[in-house]
Amino acid sequence: MNQVTSSRTVRRFARNRLALVGLVFVAAVALAALLAGLIAPYDPLAMNFDALLVPPSATHPMGTDMLGRDLLSRVLYGSRYALLIGMGVVVLQMVLGGALGLIAGFVGGVVDSLIMRMVDIVWSIPGLVLALALAGALGGGIWVMIIAIAVTGWGQFTRLLRGQVLSLRELDYVTAAYAVGAPRRRILFRHVLPNTLGPVIVYTTLEMPTAILASAALSFLGVGAQPPTPEWGALIADGRGLIGFAWWVSTFPGLAIMIAALGFNFVGDGLRDVLDPRFERRI
Amino acid sequence: MLVPTLIGVTAIVFSLMHVSGDPIRLLFGPNVSEEKVLEKRAELGLDKPIYVQYWNWLSQVVQGNLGLSIHVQDRVGRLILDRIGPTLELTILALILTVAIAIPAGIISAMRPYTIIDNASRFIALFWVSMPYFWLGIMLMMVFGLRLRILPISGRGGPLWTLEGLKSATLPILTLGLPPIALFTRLTRSAMLEVVNEEYIRTARSKGVRETTVVVHHGLRNALLPVVTLLGLRLPWLFGGAVITETVFAWPGMGRLLVNAVMERDYPVVQGIVLVIALLTVLANLVVDFAYVLIDPRIRYG
Repeated sequence: MNQVTSSRTVRRFARNRLALVGLVFVAAVALAALLAGLIAPYDPLAMNFDALLVPPSATHPMGTDMLGRDLLSRVLYGSRYALLIGMGVVVLQMVLGGALGLIAGFVGGVVDSLIMRMVDIVWSIPGLVLALALAGALGGGIWVMIIAIAVTGWGQFTRLLRGQVLSLRELDYVTAAYAVGAPRRRILFRHVLPNTLGPVIVYTTLEMPTAILASAALSFLGVGAQPPTPEWGALIADGRGLIGFAWWVSTFPGLAIMIAALGFNFVGDGLRDVLDPRFERRI
Repeated sequence: MLVPTLIGVTAIVFSLMHVSGDPIRLLFGPNVSEEKVLEKRAELGLDKPIYVQYWNWLSQVVQGNLGLSIHVQDRVGRLILDRIGPTLELTILALILTVAIAIPAGIISAMRPYTIIDNASRFIALFWVSMPYFWLGIMLMMVFGLRLRILPISGRGGPLWTLEGLKSATLPILTLGLPPIALFTRLTRSAMLEVVNEEYIRTARSKGVRETTVVVHHGLRNALLPVVTLLGLRLPWLFGGAVITETVFAWPGMGRLLVNAVMERDYPVVQGIVLVIALLTVLANLVVDFAYVLIDPRIRYG
């Protein structure tokens, strides 16, 4: 991308107000994750039996949970888990699914049909159901959950990269590269791969909220982050039995998840408009 | 198309048991003598090569035998049969709720295309897909069940045609059915906007056909294909959502049974439910394919 097009891209993105709002949300979550150690008023794991289930107040802006832990501090630290888990899942999916997609598109033939059949098979089992069963089988925990979500959700990257390679393969400059005798590996890495970057960035951004929501759901169900980890889904599970008298325990972590997911969705939506106008709009 | 997919799905489901560790230890706990393990392994055929085991398991499954639960002394098939009804009830009603609101809303907003509506609907759609639905369920519970005290917060009160049954089903259906509405509204709207400028719409209008007939018969019918496609893509999500919704509301369906079985490491039950859900998904996608033909007779499958 040269200077002129990149500045135009930035301008078009900046005109999209929703995308800018998204950027603010994402920045807020990222700052919370980076600075949690500095800005959190309390230790997220410190129990205080003199302050059990204190409603939101000046000393505890989001209240405390059933062990007297400060909810604001736990939610702030939770942003670290959300971002790291989300990024872990998306990177794994991109590497695994992307590599298979590149191979399928570039090699073609039997390899292509075999890989795409695999995508169809994994696709026909609902991702969350399979991830739940797999995470449970492997014993649960954050790392297991990341792997379980990644190995059940890589198919979309495979489809994306394969489609990209198939359409790029037909372009004149690729044909020209073949004609001058460039080796296949060089064509793949120099001519094809860099041009898939736009859609991949868009798709990666849009996968972040999906991964964050899925990991929160698995932690809520008990096969993800384990107590006392201040992961957002686990925090909501903590408050589930308390909604009759302590509404704040489940409410605030849920709002945090929404801010993070909305942020990435808005940014991804805006990026799609500027980076990849051909990309089919999902909504 | 179907057969290789089914073979792949059953292979994944079969391997779930083996990912979770030694099935014998799962069955009999850790304090079992080595001899007993070997003996049981031979008895259950677990000493054979893995593909023989897969074949044996598959031939049982095809005959409808999903094995025995580890924790409850009952056949897995029976356990699932008891729970499948409430799950289908929940998912189908949620789907009806989504479609019944989203398609009219999409048509209405397509009839009045203004940019402000466009931006607002984009915002609302993204807002709803960013919501964790287990959280939405808890919030609905808090407001309608505990604050206003007009709806029960958990369990299934009875069959749907009774008042109690209907009341207890309301919140789970809303939890599962509300979030996708904005998404489908937006898609219906954009699909409608694409067809309203077609010539056959103008022709129909100029013939003096009533406006509702133009919109429904000429417009909607052609706009429906992308909507049905998205519907097919969202069906797996619906079953995933049902797992969580059932857990939140203690709804006695397959999803809740699955979560409990995962927690107790009752893997025959887990395998059975994952298999049934996968089959339902495959079946639902088949129905979607047939719906294509109904909506658009130009599409034919050889």
